[in-house]
Amino acid sequence: MRSFTHSALCSMLAAALAQAVPALAQDAELDALNLQSAPEAAPEAAAGAKFFVEAAVGNASQRYQSSSRDIGRVSLDFSHSTRLAPGWRAVLSDRLDYVHPADQGADATVNSLREAYLSWQPEGGSTAVEFGRINLRYGPGYGYNPTDFFRDGSLRVLTTANPFALRENRLGSVMLRAQHLWSGGSVSAAYSPKLANQPSSDGWSADLGATNHRDRVLVALSTQFSQRVSSQLLAYKAKGDAPTVGASVTALLSDAAVAHLEWSRGSEPDLLSRALGLSGPASARNRLAGGVSYTTLGKLSITAEYQYNGFALSQSEWSAMGSTAPDTQVAYLVAAQRLQELAPRHAYLIYLTQKSLGMKELDLTAFLRVNADDHSRMAWVELRRHWRSFDLAFQLQQHMGRSTSEYGVLPDRRLMQVLGTYYF
Amino acid sequence: MFDQSGTAIMKSLGSFFLLLLFGSGLAWAAPTADEILAASDAIRNPGRPFSVTVTLTEFQAGVQIDTSTLISYSRTQQQGGQFSSLIRFVLPARDAGKLMLKNGNDMWFYDPVGKASVRLSPQQRLLGQASNGDVATVNLAKDYRASIAGEEEIQDGERRKRKAHKLALTATAPEVTYASIEMWVDAENNRPIKARFFAESSRLLKTAYYRRFQPQLGVERPTETVIIDGLNPQSVTIMRFSDYVARNIPEAWMQRDFLPRFQPE
Repeated sequence: MRSFTHSALCSMLAAALAQAVPALAQDAELDALNLQSAPEAAPEAAAGAKFFVEAAVGNASQRYQSSSRDIGRVSLDFSHSTRLAPGWRAVLSDRLDYVHPADQGADATVNSLREAYLSWQPEGGSTAVEFGRINLRYGPGYGYNPTDFFRDGSLRVLTTANPFALRENRLGSVMLRAQHLWSGGSVSAAYSPKLANQPSSDGWSADLGATNHRDRVLVALSTQFSQRVSSQLLAYKAKGDAPTVGASVTALLSDAAVAHLEWSRGSEPDLLSRALGLSGPASARNRLAGGVSYTTLGKLSITAEYQYNGFALSQSEWSAMGSTAPDTQVAYLVAAQRLQELAPRHAYLIYLTQKSLGMKELDLTAFLRVNADDHSRMAWVELRRHWRSFDLAFQLQQHMGRSTSEYGVLPDRRLMQVLGTYYF
Repeated sequence: MFDQSGTAIMKSLGSFFLLLLFGSGLAWAAPTADEILAASDAIRNPGRPFSVTVTLTEFQAGVQIDTSTLISYSRTQQQGGQFSSLIRFVLPARDAGKLMLKNGNDMWFYDPVGKASVRLSPQQRLLGQASNGDVATVNLAKDYRASIAGEEEIQDGERRKRKAHKLALTATAPEVTYASIEMWVDAENNRPIKARFFAESSRLLKTAYYRRFQPQLGVERPTETVIIDGLNPQSVTIMRFSDYVARNIPEAWMQRDFLPRFQPE
């Protein structure tokens, strides 16, 4: 009897709910119609300028010492694009970093003139010509870009380990560039001349020696095979080196999954020779990065990427160097970072972002780099809270591995920092 | 002579009655559901390349929680007739200058500072506010087959009673965001009044009200769309459209390689 009463009560409740839910939805709809839009933004907001100030304080614990060191940074970041005349545009992008403590032999205050160029593009036209310092970047890879031929020496200051954020500091190269587009494809050519012999350690230098230390030419052909598949073919030649060819493909695998593949092949001395400034014999090798990104309905995006650098030291070569010349290991890693090269032969990257983590304005970004040869790892996590014009972030970076491994040999074990960014 | 004239008059009279009988019938024939839908599309979307400023205001339980501004540059594709759009983010300041391209399923996000072009999956794009643009600027007649589901009197976005055709839309293209749509179109003038967007599972994803009709590029168009989340009706977004400008937007711009070249006017 009790069971029957219970069932009847449940049925009545279910029926009542079935009636009530559409009615509630209807009420919510009518309430929504009373809401008013925010006022439209002032026209100057649509201007092409962006300026922000960022400050960071933190601490780095050491692997081989009991003490830790304080770290800090203040950065001013400015970019502006302005129309000079119909079809003509000027672009200026600059960043100033004060870093504490400064890297050995470097100024504490470092200016990075990222871009300064003139662009001509007839209104509604599909041909463009640009001249000046241009940040020309190719490659869909997340953590390693074999077809990003202008990457070496383009970073004056390393403010983060996050590969996406790191690109924001990057210097362009002085070049003359032309591009022609058609429906579903484009071709572009760039010529970047030698303007200086070597990089400058002067913090206020335009540092043309970092980006224009030899004559270089790049030709790229982009093709969109369908709405799901697109590709780029690239040919690159630096004076003194044999030509390098590259290709990349991106593909939409499903409604939620995207794949990318990036490859280049060239003949040059191995990475150790380049790191130590030796004129080693050139040999033809491959570089590769390929991965898949998947996004869930819960706003979580995960990317898994495999990376390969045929010019890097193999595990046996790395181990041999550790037992005979451990300082050279560190020099090799520093040079790999400067050249934005992959230090091990094989590596993996897992990269994830979670938008609206628990609340709309909170984002989580994390990645794990794994050296597939010695199994050492670097983990990086950021929690970022957004306000209207201000971001507050907490970052944690941890190096894990044996003392003879890629990440184990680094002096810092763990870095923690808090960042505040104000956008004007 | 008379016979000839009489025959001619009889023929003319016959033609006149035939015209009266069938011609007038044709003139008064009710438009088909697909024609109503196409007419409604033409009211929402200019038939030539254009840009429009979109102000998005987000509400949760009636409280404003966020605003953002973007400028959408759109044109119809030469093949298929669907819209392709290049969206430039204006506000908040942290996102200023970032671009999003949607050319069918070819979707890219571009950050001008990092020079990074990232291919997006439809699901990735659906999670962002830009997907609300699909509710406002999309040529439904290109991707859906319409049938008339009835004539109803409903409340429009300004809470006035309107006599409307209720259309049932079923996707004909495999790669559309919404599997089916219910749409109410003003019986008097084909203005879109309201639409309900459904997933393949028949789950209600969004409800949209089109309102504040004002002359833009020669036609009275809705300048606000109220979008109510299907799962959480307390989550509401109002899209305000302003500054419609006819523009020369070549099809060649709607690709990844153009993103670094894009120059806002």
